[in-house]
Amino acid sequence: MSEKLTAAAAALGLPEALVERSAAARAAETGASADDILTEWAGGEAASASAPPAEAAVSETSNAEDAAEDDEETPSQAATPPTAVQEIVIDVPARPETAAPVPTGPYKPPVLVGARDNPMTILLGAIGLFIMIVLVGLVGPSISTDIAGARSSEIPYTESAQRGRDIYTTSGCAACHTQMVRPVIADVGLGAVTLTDTNQVLGTRRFGPDLSDLGSRMTADQIEAVIGGLGSHPSLILSSDMLTDLVAYLSESRTSGTEQS
Amino acid sequence: MADTQTADTKALLGGGSEGDRLAATHFMVGAALLVLGGGLQLLSLVSLRFAGLLPLSYGRIEPMANLTLMVGFVAISLIGGVYYVLPRLTGARLWRVDLPWLGLLGMAGLVIVGLIVIGVGLGDGSQPLGLPIWIDLPLVLVLSIPLIVTVATIRRREEERSFVTLWFVLGGVAWLPLLYIAHLVTELPDVSSVATAYGEVFFSAGFVTMFLVTVGSGLVYYTVVKELDIALASRQLALVGFWSLGFAAAWWGAAQLLFGPGPGWVAGVAAALGLAFPLGALANAANVSMTLEGSWAELGERPGVLSGVLGLYLTVGVAAVAALAGFRSVGSVTSETAFWEAVEYVALGGVGTLLVSSVSLAALPRLIGRQVETASQARRFHRLTIAGAVGVLITLGAAGIVSGYSWIGGSNSAAYVDAGEGWAAGVSGTYDTLVLVALIFGIILFLGQLSYTALVTGTVTRGKAIPQEVLVAKETSDE
Repeated sequence: MSEKLTAAAAALGLPEALVERSAAARAAETGASADDILTEWAGGEAASASAPPAEAAVSETSNAEDAAEDDEETPSQAATPPTAVQEIVIDVPARPETAAPVPTGPYKPPVLVGARDNPMTILLGAIGLFIMIVLVGLVGPSISTDIAGARSSEIPYTESAQRGRDIYTTSGCAACHTQMVRPVIADVGLGAVTLTDTNQVLGTRRFGPDLSDLGSRMTADQIEAVIGGLGSHPSLILSSDMLTDLVAYLSESRTSGTEQS
Repeated sequence: MADTQTADTKALLGGGSEGDRLAATHFMVGAALLVLGGGLQLLSLVSLRFAGLLPLSYGRIEPMANLTLMVGFVAISLIGGVYYVLPRLTGARLWRVDLPWLGLLGMAGLVIVGLIVIGVGLGDGSQPLGLPIWIDLPLVLVLSIPLIVTVATIRRREEERSFVTLWFVLGGVAWLPLLYIAHLVTELPDVSSVATAYGEVFFSAGFVTMFLVTVGSGLVYYTVVKELDIALASRQLALVGFWSLGFAAAWWGAAQLLFGPGPGWVAGVAAALGLAFPLGALANAANVSMTLEGSWAELGERPGVLSGVLGLYLTVGVAAVAALAGFRSVGSVTSETAFWEAVEYVALGGVGTLLVSSVSLAALPRLIGRQVETASQARRFHRLTIAGAVGVLITLGAAGIVSGYSWIGGSNSAAYVDAGEGWAAGVSGTYDTLVLVALIFGIILFLGQLSYTALVTGTVTRGKAIPQEVLVAKETSDE
């Protein structure tokens, strides 16, 4: 066995361990003995109808090689420069018929190959597209539009309220609450429409009520009670200082009376 | 002892090349984190329906779920798929294989640290991930590793012809870190609130279209062609699919802020370019369907191919729904509601699971030499995942529409008094019921995700031994 293995490995130019495992797999696949397989690969008499691993090896390209007549689609396996270290896929196929050394069936189109091109052009195009999208889809909508005479949505928060805004953000309040009143029927009654110079936390979901004008609707005590878990609101665990700051932010959130610019 | 453990690990992951063990490990880590992410996503629905029931609020559970699913499951698994196909499509050894190992360790480690940080309230509260800057920065670095490895590997390629998968892979791994950097810039302290909001939806939408669906579709192309040994129907259609997904990225995100404080032209552009999402998804689904012509009967025996087909069709559904809501007439009802939660929930939990499983269930047998464990379990996984995902999309989406119409009816302004208190109570009851049904479908989807993880684990540990595909370096001689 070991002599045959050595001979087969030498004949195929592959490591013995790999040849041994491939032979075992091939034997299981074809029903022949591993010895016969190795004898065949070493150059002896054929023991089965299966092809040796070197032919079965290029599973990624074998189908293309089957269609070698089509020069356009033949992969560059043969064009590999000498002395290069080349990755080859040794694939003992699950379906022996795909490893037949000579294609006997009808023409089969090659797979996993394409046109000769430079993928780096795709990379450059992808980066270019991204820059364009960022400029139009992210920078463009974010530019503040200052229109003469327009009402401002910027609220002059106290220092405590500004700290409270950070707590509002880090506590994830914006996951459920918006601070954005839109000029649509759905938002009638929520307060003044939010403009681009807002310094509130907009949010993108409104599972709870909009809070942009909360200070006009609730007192500080009421707000504190809700934050503590009143009704269906989850109870937030905050230090007293943090709670004070958060309540200050929400109490000072009054858009109804914002001044003209 | 250490040698024995290393040998055992290598035996479990198959005796192939280091690059193949790397890909297999990515799939396994991703599958493990799917259980965590899927569970957290389900808990986010629980907290939405039963506010105050859980010790953590929805505002904390949701970013935890997003982090685990987006980075822990989708990114890690799809990057594993990238490392699987790269050597096979380029004929070149994976460049500096130690670097991707570092990337995997970094991504998984940062997800775990991030979960703890958000859970204890030290996150920055930004959507969708809520990570503080000291986790964001190293995460950008590890998310850049696949781009570096991919570019370096392609530069050393032996194969001069590109299969379409290479475009999708290259585009996806390039866009992922760029998206994250753009998102980070909008989180800087001096950036306006409006820019921050647009940055958040830009990242959420961009991750789905520019990474998840882009890389996932590209890997489905490889899986279908490789598994069934049939040629791709149309290279041009694949090109349309690839660029359309890139164009679509920002716009269905911007559609979520329809009528907001951004400029008015955004709404029109968002509606028009948002159509690129279903267009790209449809191009890919149609291409794969045409490729499968005459081979549909084989899908039952190829769980990876079936996953890919189901994933692409589900993507078309999600994309159509998202694009529809980009129009002003629909957006006036759906914007800011649970409708968008449904889209994102299904995009990550449903489409993500199916597209990832397409490549992993096809690759694992080749990588580790073990057959996918039981076809019946694969069927169960497909049925549960599709039923759960479609159910969540319909019911949670409907809940969003109901709440949107209730706002139009005046429930925000107390104008509902004119329609009667019973009307308001009825709307609220309908909404609650729909979210409850969505929760039930969420449980079904989670069972599907559990089936996937069990399938991967079972394949690796108990799968029937089959011939393995091994990458070998071959010294060629002067001729």
